[in-house]
Amino acid sequence: MKAFKKYVSLLKMSMQVSFTYRFNFLINAISGVVFITSLYYVWKAIFAQRAELNGLTWEHMQSYLLVVFISNMLLSWYSETAISRRVMDGSVSMDLLKPIDFQKARLSETLGTSLVEGGICIIIAVIWAFMFTGVQVPPDASSAALFLLSLLLSVFIKFGIVYLSGLLCFYTTSMLGVAWARAAITNLFSGALVPIALFPDWLGTFAKLLPFQGIVAIPASLYMGQLSGMTALGQIGIQLFWAIVLWLAGKALWRWSVRQVTIHGG
Amino acid sequence: MSVIEVSSLSKQFKQAVKEPGLKGSIKHLFTQNYRTKNAVDGIDLQIEEGDAVAYVGPNGAGKSTTIKMLSGILVPTSGSVKVNGIVPHQERMRHAKQIGVVFGQRTQLWWDLPIRESFSLLKDIYEIPEQEYKRNMDRFRELLSLDEFMDQPARKVSLGQRMRADLAAALLHSPPIIFLDEPTIGLDINVKVRIREFIKEVNRDQGSTVLLTTHDLEDIKDICRRLVIIDKGRIIYDGSLDKVKDAFAKERKIYFQVSEAAPTLLESLSRMPGVVLEIQEDTKFSVEFNRFQHSAGQIAAFVMERVEVVDFRIDEPSIDHIIRKLYDGELSIEEGYGAEAAK
Repeated sequence: MKAFKKYVSLLKMSMQVSFTYRFNFLINAISGVVFITSLYYVWKAIFAQRAELNGLTWEHMQSYLLVVFISNMLLSWYSETAISRRVMDGSVSMDLLKPIDFQKARLSETLGTSLVEGGICIIIAVIWAFMFTGVQVPPDASSAALFLLSLLLSVFIKFGIVYLSGLLCFYTTSMLGVAWARAAITNLFSGALVPIALFPDWLGTFAKLLPFQGIVAIPASLYMGQLSGMTALGQIGIQLFWAIVLWLAGKALWRWSVRQVTIHGG
Repeated sequence: MSVIEVSSLSKQFKQAVKEPGLKGSIKHLFTQNYRTKNAVDGIDLQIEEGDAVAYVGPNGAGKSTTIKMLSGILVPTSGSVKVNGIVPHQERMRHAKQIGVVFGQRTQLWWDLPIRESFSLLKDIYEIPEQEYKRNMDRFRELLSLDEFMDQPARKVSLGQRMRADLAAALLHSPPIIFLDEPTIGLDINVKVRIREFIKEVNRDQGSTVLLTTHDLEDIKDICRRLVIIDKGRIIYDGSLDKVKDAFAKERKIYFQVSEAAPTLLESLSRMPGVVLEIQEDTKFSVEFNRFQHSAGQIAAFVMERVEVVDFRIDEPSIDHIIRKLYDGELSIEEGYGAEAAK
């Protein structure tokens, strides 16, 4: 129990720090709003010509965009790059001196930041939804609950991906390059730019084999109440599966990287 | 059993060798040549509990590399390290609890948090019992005057303040073993004195074992009883602080002031083997001699027999002088006691 307390303290600490960096978050939020608003108008123009696109209606699409926004904001750029920055500036070696698990510590920090920023972004999301009426709330309580669970899992998946790409900075000095590549791949395969349902078949099948769908596509479909019963739980299961796989992969990569670094010198 | 046991410890780094110019860079893309560098080259070191050891050597001698291996950040290429029975890089978490480490060039405080909060976070991370935390905190606050800046985030305090906070942070969990890598680097004299006092007190009162690297000779004289000198990855001296003089300084210098000018004396002095004569005035001169060839008594007697001596003093070579000479590479292992110590 005591061993767990240190991670809770780290989580609280990072909540505190994210208030210090409120300006950072604000900028991030503004760019998020701009991004989502432009997507909104693009899709609005597309749906002006037709009522339905591969089974998606304009109403669906608006809800979808809301989920994209929330999911993007839950893990901000700042907390994303925090891990790679740690690797780049060498403070990793100070982490090795502390009786604390690196991966769990970073997860605690990320969750702490996400709690603060997530809270704020929900307020922004509500305002956004209010301004552009037409966004629907989940059809019933159970889809709402499943959506929240799925959103939580999406944070773990995103953390897993961010953590892995952060550790890549042990091998390359191009921290921004890695972060941008990761963001581009995530945006495409998570369905943040275009819903996976609209992908060509082969790309859609491919996307379903990857972990990224768990970041936007799955929470979004649960939000819209498109899935029911076992299918919904199955999707949550896929998210859980990826969250665990990514966690273990992160653990393995960390162990391997640390061995490399401690053997060859930082 | 010694607290720290190091035997034939070596660390090699691979360094990429790149030929100069654009051609070299392009070539490097395809074929990488590496050169191995022996940062630490077969070190043996035993440190007893409660000892305070200065680990000294020029830049790049292998000091920090040794400290990093002792603290578990680097894995040795060969040889063995044991700290309190633990192999540092194998049991990192358990090891972390028994050591306190300060790297003068880095901080372990959270940049954006008030220093007070960094401490309470460390309390949880190291699972320090409330009572112990309070006791240490009260002591450190007084000894290091932390109260002046406890509410400031680490990024806003001065280097001296940050260093004091870092020391407190490293020792908060009362580690029995303390590694300090240049803890006084870049600090003003007042802060240095204060930090020295603090380290001394921790070493004396808690009986903590201290290993300290520094370029500041006052640090060494003030805190440490034992001196280990490393150069090019090898230990070239290991012994007490006083003995280093005997080991390396073979020159002694006697200053004479005599009642009248004595040109014949000076001439015969200057012809003695192993003697360097320096004349300041007619009646003031100094004689530098190799103490393995002449004793001070012989030289003094030689002068006194020939002229009336008004005043004289013997110059002991200072530790500063010796270490500076070591850094310059003027003293080598082959000389004096160092050779025996190295065996």
